[in-house]
Amino acid sequence: MNSDNGNTRTMMATCPACGLLCDDVLIENNQNKISVLEGSCTKSISFFEQSIGNITPLIAGKPATFQEAIAKTAQILKIAKNPLLAGLSTDLQGFRAIYDLAQKTDATLSHMNAASSQRNLRVLQSAGWQITTLTEVKNRADVIVCIGTDVVTHNPRFFERIIQQDGMFIGAKEREVIFIGENIQKNDTLEGSSLLACRASDLPEITLAMRALVLGKKLKATQVAGVNTSDLQTVVDKLKQAKYAVLVWVAKDLDFPHAELTIQNITETAVVLNQITRAAGLQLGGSDGDTGVNYANTWLSGVTLKEDQSIQHDAVVWVNSFSPDKKPPSSDRPLIVLGNANSQFGNKPDVFIPIATPGLDCGGLLFRVDGSVTLPLKKLRETGLPTLSDVVSQIKVLLG
Amino acid sequence: MITLLKNGKLYDPVHNKNGVLDDIYIFQGRIISKPLNTEKISQTYDLTGKVVMAGAIDMHSHIGGGKVNIARMMLPEFQDKKLQETKNYSEPEAHICTPYCSHNATPSTTDTGFRYIEMGYTAAFEPAILPINARHAHLEMGDTPMIDKGGYAMLGNDDYFLRLLASRADQKAINDYVAWTLAATQAIGIKVVNPGGISAFKFNQRRLDLDENNVHYKVTPREILKSLSNAVYQLGIAKPLHVHCNNLGAAGNFETTLNTMGASEGLPMHLTHIQFHSYGTEGDKKFSSAAAQIAEALNTNKHITADVGQILFGQTVTASGDTMMQHLNAKLANPKKSVIMDIECDAGCGVVPFKYRDQNYVNALQWAIGLEIFLSVEDPWRIFLTTDHPNGAPFTSYPHLIRLLMDKTFRNETFAKLNLDAQAMSNLASLNREYTLYEIAIMTRAGAAKLIGLNDRGHLGIGAAADITIYTDQADREAMFAKPDYVFKDGELVVKDGKVIKVVWGATHTAKPAFDMRVEQGLKKYFEKYHTIQLDNFKISDDEITEDGRGKIIVHDKTS
Repeated sequence: MNSDNGNTRTMMATCPACGLLCDDVLIENNQNKISVLEGSCTKSISFFEQSIGNITPLIAGKPATFQEAIAKTAQILKIAKNPLLAGLSTDLQGFRAIYDLAQKTDATLSHMNAASSQRNLRVLQSAGWQITTLTEVKNRADVIVCIGTDVVTHNPRFFERIIQQDGMFIGAKEREVIFIGENIQKNDTLEGSSLLACRASDLPEITLAMRALVLGKKLKATQVAGVNTSDLQTVVDKLKQAKYAVLVWVAKDLDFPHAELTIQNITETAVVLNQITRAAGLQLGGSDGDTGVNYANTWLSGVTLKEDQSIQHDAVVWVNSFSPDKKPPSSDRPLIVLGNANSQFGNKPDVFIPIATPGLDCGGLLFRVDGSVTLPLKKLRETGLPTLSDVVSQIKVLLG
Repeated sequence: MITLLKNGKLYDPVHNKNGVLDDIYIFQGRIISKPLNTEKISQTYDLTGKVVMAGAIDMHSHIGGGKVNIARMMLPEFQDKKLQETKNYSEPEAHICTPYCSHNATPSTTDTGFRYIEMGYTAAFEPAILPINARHAHLEMGDTPMIDKGGYAMLGNDDYFLRLLASRADQKAINDYVAWTLAATQAIGIKVVNPGGISAFKFNQRRLDLDENNVHYKVTPREILKSLSNAVYQLGIAKPLHVHCNNLGAAGNFETTLNTMGASEGLPMHLTHIQFHSYGTEGDKKFSSAAAQIAEALNTNKHITADVGQILFGQTVTASGDTMMQHLNAKLANPKKSVIMDIECDAGCGVVPFKYRDQNYVNALQWAIGLEIFLSVEDPWRIFLTTDHPNGAPFTSYPHLIRLLMDKTFRNETFAKLNLDAQAMSNLASLNREYTLYEIAIMTRAGAAKLIGLNDRGHLGIGAAADITIYTDQADREAMFAKPDYVFKDGELVVKDGKVIKVVWGATHTAKPAFDMRVEQGLKKYFEKYHTIQLDNFKISDDEITEDGRGKIIVHDKTS
């Protein structure tokens, strides 16, 4: 699908802007300017069509050479006893480099999505779960219940690519999609979808009731948190009659205390359903390489990334390849930003080193949000920016 | 620069050397013939009295990929310091923590490489790579230092294959798909897990026997085995089809296992972790040893090889592609949690933590069944030493297992401490066999290399890669095999006195038989219609493994 026509080139690209990693995005490069031609969504357009940005490093806001900026970074890290390497919005190779740097500098690692990743991780570590992946959903799912999320805010093309397609064992029109939650716009293009409206803060109670009903327990109350028990029973009956029911959640949207208990209600509902029929959970969302960073940290160290960002630290390295609008935490410690050339800051960093964005300025590798698929990213344009691994290896040399 | 290993006692079954005193010369990573007197020997190691073997090869160990990483993520308690203390364990559990093991069933990639090489293992093969997850598996193996690695790609539950089989596609179409999969996933062998069963579970079928139909595709496990074993054979892939039989772990499953041996109609097949497939239904508890029947069948059926999948007592985790059976096993989880996952119309995985206890009837008998099989199978070239790491026990318990095989007194003492009902149901104490060093060298080196088709590994002949392990001959075989004096990897001294002294990065072994490129026409249509990624992104290029400058790919064919 690649072609070359004078000044413009078209090619298939993989989009790292959300956890779906759509790899059917057709882009055009016209004199180093990228446009999305097919397979677009709001996120992919703002990712692929971003400007090249400021490719000059800054020391205390003043232009510097890469050598100077790298030397300054090494100088700060040499003095620091426990640096915090945060953000970690990067791909696999970038994270491997950062992991090595953390080993060398005795640093703590923390991803910008740690709070939502931890919600899922707590469920995995306390009970486990029964889950599925996108291709299974596309080909088997007949009842899809999205709990506390419209999905599309995070994964704009989920319905288009997965649900509104004919699968091997199910036609697109035979599927039923049910949303449960608050502020969920009914998706008009989604035939046969329905909405069970409830406040987000009531999801713990509603998911618990659903879990109880799936277990066959009778509820005396006619309403649960304002939702008719009979309506919940209708959803549960559909889940039980489904050949392959899928319960979808996005951890980021379950942003309330003890959200892991709500996620566990969802996953345990799937576990109970599997005693008699087939069902599975599906975790969606994902961004900034979070899935791969968590995975790679686990295999490299044997343990998962910790949540605690408040850990004592005396310098911050903010790594941010994919989301220039996500700012480093405010801190009175020395701040180094290794980031996208369009990075925005609150506090002016002591050092800013622009780095190549994987999937745009250089190749890379990312894990899809459902965990089993790893996809290569392509270099689409020339910026001359160094990769994160290049920069880190030069820092490491100076650290000795 | 020539290195001389002088006057060692060589156990090199490929060359019929059974404790023969000999010298080995190493040059540029290879064993060479005795150089001319004029050539300079740079380094000499006096190995007088030492036991010399090729580096050991683990032909079945779950060292990397999705399910192993899920196990790591799910089980932070494995990293708990308390578990790392050996002193609270009493025999027979103490072996789980030799001073050199990483003390848990889910080591990091670094620990995996280090613990293997410290025991004298120079290669390990990940036996269950889901093709869709192959890139992840290679990433983890790429981060595993010290040892060579490789993997077996799983087929037989993927919808693409089952559609081919159900539509009675000809064998050539199957062969092309199998060869294409090997190339696309950078694997060296093909595995099938619960043939048809992982797929059947997605259609809510809960059990599947050898001659039973997958409810949707109306094909049987026997047909799947026949088709895949033929493909592997006709393509000239050295490694026989790697088979995880139907009915894993179920009482009475030995009959399925016996029948499975006939499914390939005489073509080579390897039945993996056969201990888990050797259970009868006799006795009050309706669970008994069928090791005698299985061993007898293995002795008779020369086309079949097997590895044992020995269990050892203690905490571990089971990680398998067999969602159908792991879903049943989840109720036995300890600690009480599990992950069951359907994956990409490709296969699935089930991760269930287990604690094998010596006073539990079933666990104690499983332990005995594994050893009964080891001791009753006559040909050490066709039986392999595995714990199905981490499913039966962590690989770090191999030295203990070797002692159980080589030391009857030790074995019987351990047996006498087990659950009494289990003792009553096992003939283990009547088996007098003690494995010799020569037989251990076959089972863990020569045989494994031959099975996988690593012609320049597993032996000490001229031209072989200089992967060499040197032990002090000790009566305590566990102590001996836990801590070699020296390990050479590709000619470099990397371990001294059981400790890593140099970090190296091994190669990835693959097989890439030719196929008709037109196989991609059908695959492309299938991917466009049903998959969620592009066909091109499914395939792993050589560069992905080698571009970081550490990895290296070795392609094997039957003659190389």
